[in-house]
Amino acid sequence: MKIPATSRTPEVDFSAGLCAIKGECYPEDITEFSSPVLSHLKEGISNAEEYKVVIELYYFNSSSAKFFYDFFEYLDDSACEGTKIVVVWRYREDDDTMEEAGEEFEEDLEHVNFILESIG
Amino acid sequence: MNSDTIQLHELMLNRGTFFCYAGPLSEEVLTSLSSVVKDQLTETDSASPITNKVFSIFVEQAQNIIRYSLDRLDKSGVGSVSISHTSDGFLIEAVNEIDGRSRERLEEILTQLKHMDAAELKAAYKQRLKAGPPEGSVGAGLGFIEVARRSSRFDFVFEERNAQTLFLYRGWVNKPA
Repeated sequence: MKIPATSRTPEVDFSAGLCAIKGECYPEDITEFSSPVLSHLKEGISNAEEYKVVIELYYFNSSSAKFFYDFFEYLDDSACEGTKIVVVWRYREDDDTMEEAGEEFEEDLEHVNFILESIG
Repeated sequence: MNSDTIQLHELMLNRGTFFCYAGPLSEEVLTSLSSVVKDQLTETDSASPITNKVFSIFVEQAQNIIRYSLDRLDKSGVGSVSISHTSDGFLIEAVNEIDGRSRERLEEILTQLKHMDAAELKAAYKQRLKAGPPEGSVGAGLGFIEVARRSSRFDFVFEERNAQTLFLYRGWVNKPA
């Protein structure tokens, strides 16, 4: 299941045990973007013992930050309940804004294995 | 008429304003403007960390106009947004009309943010993320904090004219020394 990228939303690719998000996120209407993503994510995690999320973002606006916060909170809750969850936060080497954003999300997560990965 | 055209041309060039939009702003218009602004930024400066910050402030300012400008046309908020070169980076400016009654509240929020250092801004951002949007906010209520965090500095001015209150909101992004 792939949700294609638009000029203002990232590509979201779901496969067994994996969710990959790549691109920029500053949608007109965040709920329109986030609802299908969250429902696919919940369905994927409910069927998995291990789940991996790979995020490669180049920009997201302040309205999307709340979505990512809720997204990670859901992952952390699921990890707490026993699903083994790995998050890989990929950022361009020189992009201090996205590196910092990843670090800040990581700070609030207790049960998820969060990996920050520079992509050069 | 001709002199107006020349004045506008000279004003923009002299102050280094390479992008300016004035009029009704909707999310659809922002989508189009975003791609223009991105092209211009990558053409003028290829250092992506800087241009990302400029773009981020531009989007927050534009969405602020779309959502909160008092002067409205259907779903659009009327205002202006512009981006200029400065001697050490970029200046991103926005102007729109606001309800005079919200001036005091805006002034309070922005003054608080202006006096915060990076660590305090980060804490305020996280607190707002956890608490969710404040009353009367369409977005997450994070826009002003985002601009404060992405800019090297910002300022704001309220101008009363012809029974209108204009809100001038400016952010600077400096290149690393």
